[in-house]
Amino acid sequence: MTVPLLELRDLSGGYDPIKIFEGVDLVIEAGESIGIFGPNGHGKTTLMKTISGVLEPWSGDVIFAGERMNRASARGSRRFRNFNYDAVTRRRMDPKRVARAGLIHVAQGNLLFPEMTVAEVLSIAPLASGGRNLQGADVHALFPRLTERRGHKIRYLSGGERQMVSIAVGLLAAPRLLILDEPTLGLSPKLRAELCASIGAIRGLGVPMIVIDQDVGFLTALIDRLYLFDHGRIARVLPKADIPDHDTLMTMLFGEALT
Amino acid sequence: MMSMDTFMAVATGGLVLGAIYALMAAGLAAVWTTLGIFNFAHGAFIALGAYLGWQIAATQGAGLGLVAGTLGAVLVMFAFGILVHMALVRPFERRADIVTASVITTLAGAAIIESAINLIWGPRSRQMPQLVRGEVDLGLLRIPQSDLVLIVVVACVLAALGWFLGRTRAGRAMRAVSQNRQAAELMGLDVPKLYALAFGISAALAGLAGIFVGGLRFMTPTMGTDPLMKALIVVILGGIARFTSPIYAAFLVGMVESFSNYHVGLYWTPAVLFALMIVVLFLKPSGLFSHHQRTL
Repeated sequence: MTVPLLELRDLSGGYDPIKIFEGVDLVIEAGESIGIFGPNGHGKTTLMKTISGVLEPWSGDVIFAGERMNRASARGSRRFRNFNYDAVTRRRMDPKRVARAGLIHVAQGNLLFPEMTVAEVLSIAPLASGGRNLQGADVHALFPRLTERRGHKIRYLSGGERQMVSIAVGLLAAPRLLILDEPTLGLSPKLRAELCASIGAIRGLGVPMIVIDQDVGFLTALIDRLYLFDHGRIARVLPKADIPDHDTLMTMLFGEALT
Repeated sequence: MMSMDTFMAVATGGLVLGAIYALMAAGLAAVWTTLGIFNFAHGAFIALGAYLGWQIAATQGAGLGLVAGTLGAVLVMFAFGILVHMALVRPFERRADIVTASVITTLAGAAIIESAINLIWGPRSRQMPQLVRGEVDLGLLRIPQSDLVLIVVVACVLAALGWFLGRTRAGRAMRAVSQNRQAAELMGLDVPKLYALAFGISAALAGLAGIFVGGLRFMTPTMGTDPLMKALIVVILGGIARFTSPIYAAFLVGMVESFSNYHVGLYWTPAVLFALMIVVLFLKPSGLFSHHQRTL
């Protein structure tokens, strides 16, 4: 039996003291990609931040490539509390460890490093272990626009270009699983089409993804399964063949009353 | 009116002060921009660096000469800075009140370091051995050789720092962390290690500044207090948008201080500097040479 790429077991989390999502169970097998669809403000981004270790899981486990990414509990190390940084600072998950294991999170609306140039940002991504290794040339082939922008500072880029740099940095880190959180949010139609094509090409290279987006058509082309997220829980799981159009999906989530 | 010779002497004095303040301000800014905290122990780092250098260099100590003393002090201070980060700052890193907590812990660190110097070396003032004596004739002006060495060394160190931040992977990663910690974490950059590196570099720069301050004045355990104050003025005056902005400000403050010492007098010079700082804060709160706060 092969080890699943990512496994979430009864995961819950949020921003203390408000719990945002709970009881999330999810398994991604090797080579699979999934999509997450749901209304804004229901915990999709919070879930992704918890998987990548930016936020602390409240309970449950994040297991990536057979390795548990979170510590069991800060209470477990009570004996060494005074000497253990992680206990003192209540760290249970280390974003660096998650990223170096190959789970790369391209954050929503990532502002990156405003005062650095595109070339500088692309030069500092550390390599994760065991992922698909793309070289700088591959990235420039995927995002030709970035080649022209090499010497520009990030703060002079448009939102779409910044998103491209974000994804490019993620790719250079040799991801085994790429999380794309609303990559096309707020982009002009032209840039949006360009970015969607690039993301499709990345999927074509065999990079597994978790994609969050509001465009069901775009999602369906990329993924094997769609998770419907509602009020901090997974409401339904749809295999690729059963994914309906946008309106039917909204009805599924909100019931007849809202249509 | 000043004679040409006096003018040149005063200007050289300003240049020397500016170089020392530039070293200090660059060190302060390295920690401030990267970790977002102000290290009040920076002045004590200067004193410790000076005493370490003296211990290695002076004939009453190991007697190995000033070059060995400088290298030794800089290396030990680099390690010491990392130690201070792990002991005084890192345990509070994830807390919301990190800024307040670090004010208290770094002030405590300053007190502990100064008391330790007092215990080990005693309160009596000491003199740093000189590397070179005599003056050098540059045609237009004659300046002490030690001043020339100081200015050249500082220029080389700051250029090396600029190269490190702009060209090397570790330096770029440090700038990245200072500009967006979360994005840096998500990329897999080792944030605690880069913070420790920033502290180490900052302390090493302070150690070097300490050697130079010890060469200009007598050394006492509290010798870092006055330069720290000046470096604070420099950082506020210049802003910290680029690592070069406090450097310009450092030379401005050095020159103003030197000329004010001559014309207004030693007693009123701090008032002149603070007045200058207040005016700048009124007109351009983010600093003379910057548009944005808190980036490296």
